[in-house]
Amino acid sequence: MAGMPVRAPGPGRSPAVGRRDRDEVFLEYTKSICPVCKVVVDAQVNIRGDKVYLRKRCAEHGWFEALVYGDAQAYLASARFNKPGTIPLAFQTEVRDGCPSDCGLCPEHKQHACLGIIEVNTGCNLDCPVCFADSGHQPDGYAITRAQCERMLDAFVAAEGEPEVVMFSGGEPTIHKYIVEFIDLAQSRPIRTVTVNTNGIRLATDKSFAAALGERNRPGKAVTIYLQFDGLTESTHRAVRGTDLREIKQRALDACAAAGLTVTLVAAIERGVNEHEIGDIIEFGLAHPAVRSVSFQPVTHSGRHPQFDPLTRLTNSDVIELIAAQRPGWFVKDDFFPVPCCFPACRSVTYLLTEGTAGQPGFGVLPVPRLLQVEDYLDYVSNRVVPDYAVREALEKLWSASAVLGTGTTEEQLRAAAEALDCADACGVNLPEAIANLTDRAFMIVVQDFQDPYTLNVRQLMKCCVEEITPDGRLIPFCAYNSVGYREQVREQMSGVPVADVVPNAAPLQPLLVTSPYGSKIAGNGTGRPGGRHRYGPPAATR
Amino acid sequence: MTIPGPAEVKACCAAAYSGDAVALLLGESYHPGGLPLTRRLAAALDLRPGQRVIDVASGPGATARLLAAEYAVTVDGVELGEPAVQRARVAAAEAGLSGRVRFHRGDAERLPLPDAVADAVVCECALCTFPGKQAAAAEFARVLRPGGRAGITDVTVTDGGLPEELITLNAWVACIAGARPAPQYAELLAAAGLRVIREERHDDAIARMIGQIEGRVRLLRMTAAGRLAAAGIDTSAVLRYTALARQAVADGLIGYRLLVAEKTLVP
Repeated sequence: MAGMPVRAPGPGRSPAVGRRDRDEVFLEYTKSICPVCKVVVDAQVNIRGDKVYLRKRCAEHGWFEALVYGDAQAYLASARFNKPGTIPLAFQTEVRDGCPSDCGLCPEHKQHACLGIIEVNTGCNLDCPVCFADSGHQPDGYAITRAQCERMLDAFVAAEGEPEVVMFSGGEPTIHKYIVEFIDLAQSRPIRTVTVNTNGIRLATDKSFAAALGERNRPGKAVTIYLQFDGLTESTHRAVRGTDLREIKQRALDACAAAGLTVTLVAAIERGVNEHEIGDIIEFGLAHPAVRSVSFQPVTHSGRHPQFDPLTRLTNSDVIELIAAQRPGWFVKDDFFPVPCCFPACRSVTYLLTEGTAGQPGFGVLPVPRLLQVEDYLDYVSNRVVPDYAVREALEKLWSASAVLGTGTTEEQLRAAAEALDCADACGVNLPEAIANLTDRAFMIVVQDFQDPYTLNVRQLMKCCVEEITPDGRLIPFCAYNSVGYREQVREQMSGVPVADVVPNAAPLQPLLVTSPYGSKIAGNGTGRPGGRHRYGPPAATR
Repeated sequence: MTIPGPAEVKACCAAAYSGDAVALLLGESYHPGGLPLTRRLAAALDLRPGQRVIDVASGPGATARLLAAEYAVTVDGVELGEPAVQRARVAAAEAGLSGRVRFHRGDAERLPLPDAVADAVVCECALCTFPGKQAAAAEFARVLRPGGRAGITDVTVTDGGLPEELITLNAWVACIAGARPAPQYAELLAAAGLRVIREERHDDAIARMIGQIEGRVRLLRMTAAGRLAAAGIDTSAVLRYTALARQAVADGLIGYRLLVAEKTLVP
């Protein structure tokens, strides 16, 4: 018994005689996992002090509680932004033990894959203190072969038909010697966009590499860059990446601009580290010609990360409030809307149109939700009548995990949404041709809180639309892959080296934890050792 | 400063809403609170399937379509601007609602409908623009059956009035200059035999609408500056008005109310 009662459940704080009210509103009953042994447990979601918490109990390891949304009103309001899912063309597994043990995707999954991720390796040219993939300069690990990459791509195509986006990730995918060939393999299939998730070192140091990607970025077959970019100060770089990469990032971005590659800046945000730099990152992105979007992700407490407090962790609403507070002239929190393709509490997005030149007087940003009532289109619960279904379709594709600025598909939808603002016949002020140029001024901001073993809620997981594609051809929801033990399982199978289940480096768990060979934390008493994972069933290799 | 005469104002408002640049700024059938506030109003009216509703100043008909589709009522929309009536008819036909939604060209102060035919009247963000508010309220009462309900959402101002810059013809189309203090709406309705049974504040709705107008003006400035000028729209002037209006909302001078009034059984 680990004995880490987060808070005793049940009534009352005092030994009063009479009945007392609970200090929280009970909202949902769901399932989660024990963050220590990963066994599936019942969980409850409660509102306390206008914040949303998930609480659960493992018979062996006790109670756990984590903050999952910092603004209870926003959490409740987001529930309406929930689009009926689309059934994929193929499932890879069967329902046997229930969510999250049957990944995946199993036929009970509620959504298709907007985005498929292929991790091409576990090795990396950095050893960041923050890495959900637990990658680095490591003696073991794996790199996929061309045949494996083809199989993974084929599994994605079989499930999706014409997938929107595949992301190559790792490890550090750019150090895989076949990375360019992998991009060619993806482009030879009916996949519209290839995104490379990178720390930027190779882009900064190997001009021919940026050029090779640039050549492959062409109409209808985009290649885009998802660049780690956690802040603009040395202390942030050292805290998150272990080294000062500011010069590397600048060179990588300039190389992308020169090669015509569109970049998303991806910032892992942690309390007390770089939460004060969120506005600066947006402003930097707006000013760099290669950057068309910024994605803010509260540090995922899966894999390797510094110690954190589950009860005060950052959530989507916290990040949105920080954006509004740090750039009050540009944003209010209502400029952000939940993404309805996944579970709406997972991701919020806004689009901006920029006016003038960044850094010059007269520069301004115009959040697209101020131009139309987004909820009239994306509230799927109230709306039986939608003012214009073409606008809904355009907004659905923009408020989606597969939206990538710099690709034809997304810009077309932005144009469609903007055209809907035109007053068609009557007014003598018609926009269409002017709008053709408008997409160059568009900029996207994404706020995405990935789930970890503390915050995992199968209600959200069952509608996840971001899937890890495994070498054996499964599609596993990203947060299940990182939290439930699938990542460790795949690494063990691929490398032949036993891999223990990773446990979050949470403050209340400290007495239990020892450091793994990869720098993450594992249970010191042997709980969660490899043999303990048989409950997740065999891989789909035989199917 | 000259206050425009009633006829001039009415024509101006109808023209604005039925399809010139102001319609673009306000959006297709936009009113503060959007469809969510329309649903709230409909719920307060306690609509039942098969009932008949009159939508006064129905614009391009989004509210009429919503009521017909979601509450299974029949709706008569009355709208002064002919282009809006035409658009509303087309949209209703496209939505397959022609059988239950009809649109009439007409004046709120002389509704082209018989006495006591309606179970409910709705009038969203429009009473404030009618120069003859008492006549319009009397028309609401006339077309309602005894016990029927009128649902109004509208702009309110404080007794102290508004900054002078907002009391101009330009500002009329944004509903502001003709707005009344909240109690006056209740008095207008009461004088017409409509007893207010519910009143709610929705000031955030008008703040958001002002933000939307600002956003659209800025969008136009980015994309079609030349055409805006040709259409006689001075963006900096519009943004000056919206800034004043936004400040007035923040200061509590301008607000937005939802009122439901019942036609007394015995007149």
